[in-house]
Amino acid sequence: MDKKGFIKKELPWVLFWVPAFAVYTIVVIIPSLTTIGYSFTDYNGFSSDISFVGLKNYLMVFKNKAALTSIINSLVYGISVPILVTVIAIPLALVLNSKIKSKNILRAVFFFPSVISTLFLGFIWKFILSSSSTGLINSIRFKAGKDLLLLLADPQWAMPLLILITVWASVGWHSCIYIANLQTIPPDYYEAASLDGASKFQQFKNITLPMLAPSMTSSVLLLLTGNLKAYDLPYALTGGGPGTKTTMITQTIIEEGVTSNRIGYASAMSFLFLLIIAVITVSLTRFMNKREERLYS
Amino acid sequence: MGKKYTKKTLLLETIMVAIASVFMIPMYYLVVSTFKNQQEIMEHPLGLPKAFSLANYERALSTMDYWRNFGNSLLITSVSVILVIILGSMAAYSISRHRSKLSKFIGALFLIGFMVPAQTTMLPLFTVMKKLHLINTYKGMILLHCNQCVFAFMLYKGFIQTIPQELEEAAKIDGCNMWQLFWKIVFPLLKPVTITVAIFNVMWIWNDFMLTYLFLNSSKKATLIMQVFNGMGTFSNDWSMMMPALVLALLPMVIFYLIMQKQIVEGVVSGAVKG
Repeated sequence: MDKKGFIKKELPWVLFWVPAFAVYTIVVIIPSLTTIGYSFTDYNGFSSDISFVGLKNYLMVFKNKAALTSIINSLVYGISVPILVTVIAIPLALVLNSKIKSKNILRAVFFFPSVISTLFLGFIWKFILSSSSTGLINSIRFKAGKDLLLLLADPQWAMPLLILITVWASVGWHSCIYIANLQTIPPDYYEAASLDGASKFQQFKNITLPMLAPSMTSSVLLLLTGNLKAYDLPYALTGGGPGTKTTMITQTIIEEGVTSNRIGYASAMSFLFLLIIAVITVSLTRFMNKREERLYS
Repeated sequence: MGKKYTKKTLLLETIMVAIASVFMIPMYYLVVSTFKNQQEIMEHPLGLPKAFSLANYERALSTMDYWRNFGNSLLITSVSVILVIILGSMAAYSISRHRSKLSKFIGALFLIGFMVPAQTTMLPLFTVMKKLHLINTYKGMILLHCNQCVFAFMLYKGFIQTIPQELEEAAKIDGCNMWQLFWKIVFPLLKPVTITVAIFNVMWIWNDFMLTYLFLNSSKKATLIMQVFNGMGTFSNDWSMMMPALVLALLPMVIFYLIMQKQIVEGVVSGAVKG
């Protein structure tokens, strides 16, 4: 084919994806490559005198206690939320898919927090869990003549509370994913199992749970990737405190890069963070897919 | 999985209603507190307000410039969502119907980038946006949100592959060019995906905090979410002012949810959209 004919034939197709690709290039491709580039330099956002520092930034991340703490916090948070949500969302989905009459309104209730900005959810819980006597919990204790609790300001309780609140916020959405999957299980499976004398628990273990494998794969992956990179809710609720007890890696990256202008260092942290997410996502996807295959064969 | 409504089901139903009521306490507490003064919030946190007064709302409305921020949110969200739909559907159509080496490569590139979290690229993104003079502009915010077209692309691509091509071929013979063919014939067929894409992007873009926080800090251009965030900094101890502000700011999404509830739940169910 001659060149002119080729261009004439290809051009309309190319023009169809060019706008999306242009946005994508500006917002994702250039910044991603630059992050990797910056991570090997001492760039501070202003000076044009940028020098190559090799792996120094990466070594600094591992030597810096604050950075390590925030990575650990993100991992603790990003892993416990999916586990708890899954453990609660599956029974919840079973109930919301049963014969109860109020199931439609109950579904709407449990889904409700998913519609609201996570930042606002953080603020609302901040009102409830305030350590002053104005907060809901402490005003009740105050009236009962009991000591006020530190709650979110308590170093031991801040992270567990943050995790519980996130579970509250996400459980409705994820039980919806499971409800859809439950409706695809043929009812005769259960009938056959009952005829064979299988108990309700055995039916759950041997029919329901294996059949829920596909939705479990997508739900767990969504939860894991979503919560590893969480920012809004922890920031609104505790601002990372008390101390650095709930500081997530995203918050550290923003603080180091935007506030303190240590862009080289923050980029190294970003890239490490990206690698952590990629490794966890890829290995979990493989594990979940293998699990699906095993359960279905 | 009993077939009849038994006593056991009734018991389950009662327990679930109780759990759901506890689940909603935070929302109830927020709303009921907006009608009380600081003293009453403290003394009767969960009781109904003594007097039904809208004074707190009036004060919040006058301090936060609600309608301006509402307009900003509406402008940014609506333009972004429309662009996300246009860019995403066009790209998906081209990439899934025209299997050249280049289009395969571009498709793969979109897939990889879909997994890169914005949190890891925001620092250079800041530099790029600065160079383009897009910091603190509506245009800049819309450009950033437009990147959701990659997500739209994925959903559209999966759907387009299931549509038979006969209609398009017939239209081609009738002399339609690609532009007409896409908008007159293909796009209407994509309606179910378009609804899902629109609903979820309305929710994400309206509720976005991180990008807005980093790239749009002028209070004149602030979105509703941003304005409440700024207010929390200034009036953090004045709860009778902040609580109504929160209610006012989350009201648009609650109304949206009440109207679109069926489609939202269907969307979660069909696409397993990211949460």
